[in-house]
Order: sequence, then C-alpha cells, then structure tokens
Amino acid sequence: MSERSVRTTRLPQIPAVPLAIGIGILIGGLLVLASGGDPIAAYREILIGALAPANWPNTLNWAVPLVGMTLVAALPLRGGMVNLGGDGQLVIGGLVAALAALYLPLPGPLLITASILCAMIASGLYASLAAWGETRFGIPMLISTLLLSYPAIGVASYLVGFPLRDMATGLAQTRMIPDAARLPVISGPLNIGLILMIVVAIAVVFYDRRTVGGYELRMRGLNAKFAGYGGVRLASQQVRVMFASGAIAGLVGAILVLGSLYRYQDGALLTPGYTWSGLMAALLAGGAPLGAIAAGLFFAGLQTGGFAMQRETAIPRVLTMVLQAVIILFLAIRHGVGRKSS
Amino acid sequence: MTIELEATGIVKRYGPLVANDHVDLSVLRGEVHAVMGENGAGKSTLMSILYGMQQPDAGRIVLRGAEMHYRSALDAIGAGMGMVHQAFKLFNSLTVWENVVYGMEPTRFGFIDRREAARRVAALAERYRLQVDPNAVVGRLSVGVRQRVEILKALYRDARVLILDEPTAVLTPQERDGLFDIIRYLTADDRTILFVTHKLHEVMAITDRVTVLRDSKVVDRMVTSETSAREIIRAMTGRAVNLTVEKSPANPGAVVLEARGLTVATDGGKPVVDRVDLAIRAGEIVGIAGVAGNGQTELIEALTGLRISDGGTVSIHGTDVTALDVERHRDAGLAYIPEDRATTGTALAASAADNLAMGFQRKPPLSNGSLLDRNAVTSHAKTLIERFGVKIGSEQLAVGTLSGGNLQKVVVARELSHRAPLLIAEQPTRGVDVGAIEFIHGQLVAERDRGGAVLLVSAELTEILALADRVLVMFDGRILAELPAAEADEETLGLLMAGRVRDAHLTDGTEAA
Repeated sequence: MSERSVRTTRLPQIPAVPLAIGIGILIGGLLVLASGGDPIAAYREILIGALAPANWPNTLNWAVPLVGMTLVAALPLRGGMVNLGGDGQLVIGGLVAALAALYLPLPGPLLITASILCAMIASGLYASLAAWGETRFGIPMLISTLLLSYPAIGVASYLVGFPLRDMATGLAQTRMIPDAARLPVISGPLNIGLILMIVVAIAVVFYDRRTVGGYELRMRGLNAKFAGYGGVRLASQQVRVMFASGAIAGLVGAILVLGSLYRYQDGALLTPGYTWSGLMAALLAGGAPLGAIAAGLFFAGLQTGGFAMQRETAIPRVLTMVLQAVIILFLAIRHGVGRKSS
Repeated sequence: MTIELEATGIVKRYGPLVANDHVDLSVLRGEVHAVMGENGAGKSTLMSILYGMQQPDAGRIVLRGAEMHYRSALDAIGAGMGMVHQAFKLFNSLTVWENVVYGMEPTRFGFIDRREAARRVAALAERYRLQVDPNAVVGRLSVGVRQRVEILKALYRDARVLILDEPTAVLTPQERDGLFDIIRYLTADDRTILFVTHKLHEVMAITDRVTVLRDSKVVDRMVTSETSAREIIRAMTGRAVNLTVEKSPANPGAVVLEARGLTVATDGGKPVVDRVDLAIRAGEIVGIAGVAGNGQTELIEALTGLRISDGGTVSIHGTDVTALDVERHRDAGLAYIPEDRATTGTALAASAADNLAMGFQRKPPLSNGSLLDRNAVTSHAKTLIERFGVKIGSEQLAVGTLSGGNLQKVVVARELSHRAPLLIAEQPTRGVDVGAIEFIHGQLVAERDRGGAVLLVSAELTEILALADRVLVMFDGRILAELPAAEADEETLGLLMAGRVRDAHLTDGTEAA
C-alpha cells in the first residue's frame, strides 16, 4: 500500500513532460497534415508568433491573465483541493473593479488601488464561500466551486445587460471607466498589471517554499490526515487558501478590466478560456508553483503563437487548444499506467 | 515423512528490489511449519508465490511430487493450496455456508441446493471441530469465528496445504488457543500448515519446524523442539535481542490526562465509546488492553482531538481541551504516536525532514511563526535521524521507501522529541521487527522515567505486560476493569478482553466496572 501511494503522487518527473509535449506536437502535426495543411509551416508560425522579439509584448500580455489563473488553480491544488470556480471569481473581480472605478469618488492612483482591492476581496470572499460550504456542511468543493460560477456569471450578465448598461452602445457592457482608473501603460499593450502579476507569482513561490503556511499546505496536499494529526487546522486553512486563490482571480479580472478592456463587457473575460488553460497548466505541474508558472507561460506562448498562425496560414488557432489537450491527456495516461502496474 | 511442498531457488524482483533471492523451502506432510522473518524479509512475497497470486521470476514449486506452474490463485486452489489472509475476504451480509460454498455451490436442477450446502458445511465443521453455525450471518460473528469460516472455505475446497498469514493478530488468547486446537486436528488428518508470524511464543508452542528469512534469503532452518526463542531471534535479526524490558517501579505524580464520561456515539447504534473515565499520571505507563475493534481507536481519536466526542470531558495538564482541535491538544501537552504510521503518522511522499518537522513548524527554532528556517528544519531532522538510528540515506529522501520499522522510528522520534507531558502511543510496535520493538519499548520506558505520562494502547498482550504499570481492559466501548501490572497476567487479561469478568477471578482491590 505504501509503495502505491508513493508512486501515484505527482512529483514532476522530467522525462514525462517533454514526452507528452512531443507526442502532442506529433499528433497536432498529423491533424494539420490530414486536413491538407503544412505542419512545418504551422509550427514555424506558432514559434515566430510567440517568441520573435517583436511579439514578446503580445505573448506577455496574454500570459498575465493566463499565469494568474494558473496560480488560482495551483494554490489550492498544492493542498490537494480543486478550485473549478475561476470563471465566476474572474467575473466578480472584473465587474467589481469596473464598478469601483466608475462610482468611487477617489483620485487617480487611489482609485486604481481601491478598485483592485475591492475586486480581490469580493472574489476572495466568493471563493471562500465554497470552502466554508465544505468545512461547515460537507458540500464537496469540487462541485460547489463549479456551480457557484453560474450565478456569478448570470448576475453579472444581468447587471451589465440592464441596470448598469451603457445606453450609448448596443452591447451588454458598462460605461468606459475614467482615465484616472486605467492602469498605467509600460509599452504597447503592456501595463503595470504585468508587474503586479510578477509580484504575485513571486509571492506564491515564496509562500510555498519558505513560510509555515506553505509547508502546512504542502503537507496537506501529500497527506491531509497527516497534516490534521500534526495540528494543522484544516478547516481554516481551506478557507484561507481559497480566499487567496479567489483574490488572485479577482486581481486578474481587475487587471483585464482596468488595463485593457476599460469597461466590464459581458462575456469578454471568459471567451479566452484563461480559467481552463490555467487549470491545465496547474495540473501539468501537479500544483507546484514554479512548474505551474512555467506551464502557464508555455500555454500563453502556444496560444499567442496560435493567433499568429491563424493570421499567416489557413490553419485555425484551435490547433493550439488541441495541442494543449493532447499534452494533458498523455500526462494523465502516464499517471493511470503507473497506478495500474503497482 | 514425505515432502508435501517444496520450493527451490525462488527469485522474485520488483524493479531493483529483490524480494525473494533464491529461496528454498521444504515442508513435510502433516507438519506445522513456521515461516519467520522481520518486516520486508520476503515472507509475504513467498506466500503469495506459493498461493499462485504472484509468479516467480525463477525457481520451481513442487507439490506432492508434481511441478506446479500457477497462473493464478485459482490454479493453486485447484492443486490443493489454501490461504487464510490477515484481512479476511468474506461477504459480511451472507451466511456462513453461503460464504463457504461460494464459487463451488452444490446444485440441484440448476439451482443452489441450499440444504445440501448447509449440510456439507456443517459436516466439515463437525469433522475438524470448528464451532460454527452454518446459518449464521458472517457480519454478526466475532473475529475468531470469522477466521474459522475462512478455514472452512479452504477445507471445503479440500486444501491439503493451508497458509495462515499472521492468524493470531486479531485473536484473544482464548481464541488463539482454540485456533491451535484446530491446527492440531488438521495436522492429525495429514494436512500441512504454513504458519506465518512474528510471534515467537506461538512458534514455540505450535510449530514443528521453522524457516527463517532475512533480507530476502533463507538464513536458517530449525527444528522447533531443538531450538529456542533466542536462537530464532538471532537468526531473524542477526543478533541477540533483549526480550524483556528493564524497568524500575513507577513513581506516579500528578494527573496529566483526565477523561470523564467520554462518549463517542454511532448513528443509531450503541456508543462505540461508552462513558469512559480515566486518569493518567506523570511517570507511569498505563496500558489499554483489548481486542481490536472494541472502541480503542475511537477513544484515542476523542482524547487527541481528531474526533469531537458526543459527551464527557477531556483535560490535558489542567487545560480543558474537550471539543478543541488537535493543535490545541498539542499545545496543552500532547504527543501522539498514531495507530497507522503510513496513513496518519507520516506523509509518505514527503521528505524525512518535512515529516520530522510536523508539529514543530510554528515554534522556534524551526520558524519564527511565519517563516520557516530551512537550515533548522534540516538540522532538526539530522539530529533525530541520528539519535533514533533511522536507516535513511539523506533527510531529503521521501520516507515512503523506508521499511515499517524505520518509518515507525520516524514517527516515534518526532513525537518523543516534543518532550510533552503526555504521550499517547497507539500500537507503537505493530508490524515492526524485533530490533525496532526493543528500541521503541526502551524509549517508552525512558519517556516514563523522564516524568512523562504514557498511555499505551496495544492489541499485543506481551507488550502491555512488559511495559504497563497499570492496565485498563477495554471491551465493547467500556473500560471493563482496571488492574495493577502485578495482578495482570495473560490468562486474566484474556478473559477480560473477551468480556468475561466473572471468570477472571479478580482479587480484592481491583476494580471491575
């Protein structure tokens, strides 16, 4: 029994990840070939689109929300918990940031700070609601986080569709936020959201490696019973971690709204699928923060490259999503095989 | 005498690990043959090969003169092998006869002939004096009777060779003696018993010959009547081991752990822990004896804060900790060696350093409350590994690769190094080899002599008798009796563990609840 549980823990095994990526690229190439395209050209365009120096700002700009949502998933996953509610938390963060920016009577920098904090607190509270539901009433978080997304998305959609709608346009969206509330631009599409996200990423890695809380979370992920026996207060830990996870999602929503959309627009935060790409990146690294960040950057590069490929060739960018999915599937098979042979 | 079963040159590898390294075993017809060895010596692997559950990488198995090539346990059963596993494989909701005939039901016009099946099972039980009611539902039977059902299952398939894997681990001494009688009837009928065990006195009592495994190899073969327990231990461990624990009389001080009316309820049923009162003093070891499953596990969970009790109070070192979480129990002065080192006592995939840090992570020197000092974590681990002689390459290695005894040392090292006023040790040496048992027993006595209050829960009577200054017997969720160590012997405790207070002839001065 002991051997089995050792073998199925997701320690990042170096050869498995490149192998899965290789197989993903191979299958993706065959798909392109089968549909009459040129796989070499497709991959070249992805590479150029993602990594050519001129395209770095685009890749980084895409990476900010994606890596953010990766951390949203990775933090609870480190402790063996799953947060599937990234979409709802993202939407709440975006909407609250927009409303704070529109209605709070504060001057420039304070307005930005206040909007971001409001967004983080709102999303954090919403996420910890799921944790509280599990610790207090035994509602599995795997289900509740996912289900809680729907009312959040629905209510947000109603609010911007009716009471808060910008009557000047025909779309379900709020008014534009004032200039004072917009995140300062670094260059091109990049704004200080990038710096905020780097700070958060470093903080998460530091938390994981150096703090008592990070140690206790890691031990919980490896054996929750052991952590509880050792004196870790599992219930309050769960609520705290989910608050932090949700707060990061709120930050991502705020950065998107205050940094690039300048208003809350129904559906705009969800269409790119940051939550699910982030979840996949977190799973790829088994919740280890540094690995998850690397995987998030990799997916961001892949997806930005996908846009370039779609522009330059006739191949749709959905190919990159296929690649992502195949890579994850092959990693899952590896775990499955390991379990069976023991 | 003729050879019933012979295995020669058995080799079994699991990756780089060699579990059986050219093992030879020769068993005579009608004998009781003990297979002994420390944890990880290769006993279980050898038995699963003989029973067809695993295929050897090399070697031959000859049963009654014919070479065997088992593809599965079904082949081995067909050839006349039977096995009673440590964890019974029974359908609790079915009757005894249904369990016994399962897979080989006598039929009549295509339907199961229930009357015939029950009759055959009853006849079989009669013949080997296995007292079982064929129509009883298995789930309502005691552990000892369930074991008889397992033996009946094997006999019904006409097992000529019966493997008993740690058969006495779950039995009271009286049930154990009953099992020994059954074994005698079986061998009188020329059936052969392979007896896998850790317990020396049982080997001395019932077996004819002994094969000792160490480090995946056979190191010795002995005739029981010509050897001694000491020699067997020496063969198992490679050295002489102190069987008894040296200790001076206890010098009890103030009450450290006190429980009043502690109750753990179940849904609808009667309480698993029923109004238990106990008080453990500094400087004494109090043993709780009892057959597994009489509420000990739940009692300890309630005492340590792992479970919220349904009634009663608990205080540690004067602090009322009723309904508080584990951390506050630990703050009040609890150290705890849990029953299951692999699922509770450690995180197998975590390093030894991380495992040894648990419980110390919030206090200096390992942290300032929020930041961990990684050097301190490492040196803390190194110190404990050295002081307790844990065999591990580096403190950064995952503990999941350690043997049972070494893993237990990790748990014991961590909990003892708290130097807490109260230590609760639950089955501290279960499944641990002789060398580690000796070491852990010594540590528990040292903890007592340091002035610690020690509550010891053990299903192993010899352990209770060797260590405890006072013995509480737990039966059916209650503390049935309390007696000083001087009045506790195997006979009395055994009767009490079976709930038979009246037969136990308690002398004056002992309390029977």
